[in-house]
Amino acid sequence: MKTNKIRGREARADAPGNLSGNKRRTGVEAVYGTVSVCPVCLKRVDAAIVGRDGGYFMEKTCDEHGFFSTVVWRGDDPPFEGWGEIKSAAPDSRPALGCPGACGLCAGHLQKTCCALVEVTHRCNLRCPVCFADSGVARVSARLSVETLYARFRKLAAAGSTFVQLSGGEPTTRDDLPEIVAAAKRAGCEYVQLNSNGIRLGAEPEYTRALAEAGLDFVFMQFDGVRDDIYERLRGRPLFDIKRAAIDACAEQYLGVTLVPTIAPGINDGDIGAILEFGFRRSPAVRGVHFQPISYFGRYPGAPGDGGRITLPEIMRAIDSQTGGKVKISDLLPSACDHPRCGFHGDFAVLPNNTLLKLTKKGKAASSSCCDDAHLRNRKFVARRWKRAPAGAEEDTAVGADDYRDMDGFLARVKSHGFTITCMAFQDAYNLDLERLRRCSLHVFDGRRTVPFCARYITARRMP
Amino acid sequence: MADMAGSYWRCARCDEALTARKTVFTYLGHSFTHETLRCPKCGRVLIPPELARGKMAEVEEQLEDK
Repeated sequence: MKTNKIRGREARADAPGNLSGNKRRTGVEAVYGTVSVCPVCLKRVDAAIVGRDGGYFMEKTCDEHGFFSTVVWRGDDPPFEGWGEIKSAAPDSRPALGCPGACGLCAGHLQKTCCALVEVTHRCNLRCPVCFADSGVARVSARLSVETLYARFRKLAAAGSTFVQLSGGEPTTRDDLPEIVAAAKRAGCEYVQLNSNGIRLGAEPEYTRALAEAGLDFVFMQFDGVRDDIYERLRGRPLFDIKRAAIDACAEQYLGVTLVPTIAPGINDGDIGAILEFGFRRSPAVRGVHFQPISYFGRYPGAPGDGGRITLPEIMRAIDSQTGGKVKISDLLPSACDHPRCGFHGDFAVLPNNTLLKLTKKGKAASSSCCDDAHLRNRKFVARRWKRAPAGAEEDTAVGADDYRDMDGFLARVKSHGFTITCMAFQDAYNLDLERLRRCSLHVFDGRRTVPFCARYITARRMP
Repeated sequence: MADMAGSYWRCARCDEALTARKTVFTYLGHSFTHETLRCPKCGRVLIPPELARGKMAEVEEQLEDK
C-alpha cells in the first residue's frame, strides 16, 4: 500500500467529502471523499476513505458527536482499488441533499430496482440479539391486508419491478402467507421470494406445500452455520435441526433454498467453508449460499468496534482457505448490479462427486453500472439459479449427464445443479457511503416510497 | 446422430457428403463438444438453425454473467 500520498481520485473541488484533514498524516493514504452520516444523530457529514494499517477505513467527523473511524476493507487480496470498475456518474451528479434521510429514489440514484422487498409483518417467532428490522415476538404489527399488499404488488409490477421478496419480521408468522404469495403472482410478479428463518417451514410441511402451490418461487433462508452453538449465540436458541427440517420440507416441494448466513467475527467466521460444503451436499435442494457480513442496524447489543466487523475481502479469503481452494478468490467477481464493494458473486454447478464446475470467468464481469439494464440481467441470473427445476426435470436431464464437456451434459447439469456463492455487505450508520448507496438495486417498497435497503434500516446509535 | 446419418448435405466447396462428427465449440472461455455435420475434406461445419437457436443459445444464456 502506498503511503503518505493524496491520490485524490475523486477529490475534486466539486466532489463530496473533505480530504484535507488527512493530508499531513503520515502513513495515511486518502483514497476518495464521499458523504456519510453521523452514527449518533444521522446528520450528513463529509467522509473520507483512507488506507492505513493494512486496510481501508471510513473516517468522518460530526460537529456535535466527534470523530468516527470504521474499517471497510482489510488486507490487499483482492485489492481494494482493483475490485470492480465503477462507471462514473455525470460530472455534476451528486447524492441529493436529502439523501439518505429523506430517501425515496430520486434523480441522484444511479440504479434501478432489481429486487423489491415488501414487509408483510413486523412480528417474528425469534428474538435475535441482532436484527436489522428490530422485529420480535411481542412487537405489535400493523397487519396489512392481502388486498393492501396486492395493490402494492400491482404498483411494483406496473413499474417493472417483478422480482419481489416477502420480508418482515418473519413472514411465516402469517397464516395467510400463501394468499399473499398468490396475490403477488396474480399482480404480475414474475419471481416471488420468501425471506424466512425456516422454523415454520420445517415444522408444518403442509404450510410449505401451500406456499409452493400458491406460486412461491424460492426461499432465502437464514442459515448461520452447522452447529447449534452458533444459533444460540446469534439467534438465542439452537436451530440446526430445525434448519435441516426446513430444507427438507422445501426440497419436498421443489422450492429452491438459498442459505443466508450472517457472518459475525468470533462466532461463525471459521465456519464459512462448512456452510458451503453443507450447501454443496444438499444440492440441488440448496441453490446457493448468500453471505451477509454482520452489520449494525435495527437491534444490536452495542456500538461496534472494528473487531466486530468482517469485511468483503476477508469473507472471500475465508471461502478460499476454508474450502481448501475448491472455491478460489479468482472464482468470485464484484457485484455488477450494485456498487462493486457491496458484494461479490460466483456461479457454479455441483457435480456428482461434490466437486464444482466453475462457470464464472475472470474478466467477464460487467462494470458497476448506472442507467442500464444491470438490474434486469441480475434478476434473470439469480432467478435462473435460485429457482429449482420442477419435479421430474432433474431426473430427466440427468440422463447421460456424466460428460460435462458435452453440450447436452453441461446444460442438464447446470440447469439442475446450478449453485451461486454470493455476498452482500450491508451498510450501517458507521460505514454508510452514499456513493455506494446510490448504486443500490435492493429496494424496500412501503406502498409509497421505494428506498434502498440500507437507507431504510439505518439506525442511530443508542446512547447508553 | 440418427437425424444426420442420412444427410443430404454436401460441402459447397469440396462437394463431399457431410458426415456427423464431434465438434468442439468455445464460448466465454469454456469448451463444449457436440455432434455436427462436417465436411471430411476441408473440415467446415454446418450449424443448423435449430442448434444455433436451441442448445447453443441455451449454453450462452447459462454462461452469461449477471
